[in-house]
Amino acid sequence: MTPSPPTALVTKASLLAGLLVCGPALGAFDPGGFTIVIVSTAGNATPTNTVTPISNTLWSATGGWSTGGASVSWTNNTQGWNPATNSGFTNGNFVVRNESASAQDYSITIGMMGSAAGPLTVSGSVGGQFLNTSFGLGSLTSVGPLWEARADNNVVRSELNNALFVAQPFQVMSLGDFGFDNPFYEVSVTGSVSLRFSVRLSAGGEASFTSTFAFQAVPAPGAVALIALAGAFGRRRRRR
Amino acid sequence: MKCFCSISASASLLFASSALGTVSAPPFSFSLAADGIAGGGYAADFGSVVQTAPTEWLFQGSYQGNTGTRLAWIYLVDPDPFVTGTFTVTNETSASRDYVLDFSLPISPPLAASLLSGQVSGTLTDSNGSGSALMTSTNGGFVYSALADDSFVQGLMANAFQQVTSASGTTSFSGGAFGFPEPVPGPAINSTIGIRFAFTLSAGDSVSFSSVFVANPIPAPSVLIVCGLLGLGSRKRGTDGATRTDSGLKRS
Repeated sequence: MTPSPPTALVTKASLLAGLLVCGPALGAFDPGGFTIVIVSTAGNATPTNTVTPISNTLWSATGGWSTGGASVSWTNNTQGWNPATNSGFTNGNFVVRNESASAQDYSITIGMMGSAAGPLTVSGSVGGQFLNTSFGLGSLTSVGPLWEARADNNVVRSELNNALFVAQPFQVMSLGDFGFDNPFYEVSVTGSVSLRFSVRLSAGGEASFTSTFAFQAVPAPGAVALIALAGAFGRRRRRR
Repeated sequence: MKCFCSISASASLLFASSALGTVSAPPFSFSLAADGIAGGGYAADFGSVVQTAPTEWLFQGSYQGNTGTRLAWIYLVDPDPFVTGTFTVTNETSASRDYVLDFSLPISPPLAASLLSGQVSGTLTDSNGSGSALMTSTNGGFVYSALADDSFVQGLMANAFQQVTSASGTTSFSGGAFGFPEPVPGPAINSTIGIRFAFTLSAGDSVSFSSVFVANPIPAPSVLIVCGLLGLGSRKRGTDGATRTDSGLKRS
């Protein structure tokens, strides 16, 4: 898989304005291991984020962001990064709401900083619901992909391209579910992996997403040969 | 639960003050039972509440009891009344658990008769990457139950069985609806509307539900008669105040 060039959805200025929300550093993460950046047409605000270390390689985050009637909340976004095994994952749930009087755009990026030696196998999924709490027709759209899994800001996988969902007043819609499992990612991760949601919500709209992204180093050919030899040796010994 | 009871009086008073002109959030409450161990309280005590319209409030919050369960919600409510929103439950234990989760909203004014509609959708996720996740109805019952005055009025997702079969996978499901597009007749509702979710969730996994429950009043017969008379009156006025032209009615 050839990584595509990064999409410049988040500018340097917006990165600064959105403020990186960093948890306390544990050994397995680089400093500032957990980041959440939200850019919206509704305005700028500082996210509040509580990061709880579950173990040396596992973190959980809960938080929120709101301005001008727009809000984003995330719950139990768990991230794990194990540099010893060159593996990691992030998963969790986002709820995006628009209580303003007009449609609003949101770009939400949740990332974790770190590195892993490739090649890697990667897997992930996304699913969700759209809820229209207005008294008129409501819509959820995306300009380009709604969901992207990224490594070093290169898109590894995207789903729900040019999505359009239209809901009646007080209607709940399933957005479907999308996933991929173990495509080969040839290169190493040197900086971060992240998930990005890009969505436009009509007034009174609410979108809920559940998403996962995981990666795992592929054992080098030498290691595979060693494992095979060990297995064969063990079998021979058992026969004796 | 003790705390829940002790603050109920003050919360009711706060809500009552809205009728006097003071804007107060309604005492929207939740209760979560995991394998029979219950907890809960007023949603406002576990997060934030924002008034978004003259009669609408947005509740956001999270709760973590001592049962190895995480719950987070975002709900828009109107005591006039409707309850709509999304919550996520994560089972952080090593065994599957039975959950009963209630959201309850006091209403004002009472409804002599009602028209009901409701809907639910959800997403199940293999949050621990074990390769599978399972969410089922508990004992084959409804996952979603609409409640009026704490009594069952409509149910959705009977005998539900949703599963994920890939590591870190997700499955989304539509749980159906009632009262769409035409609301269905419901009972008189005096004090509360609510939604109950009852389900069994596999270990280490999470499920998210977005749902709606709306109860509209059925206008009393006398109100219908008045509306009819008003309509007739305005029609007569319109005819009297218009002159007929070749292109149709034109106001003089």
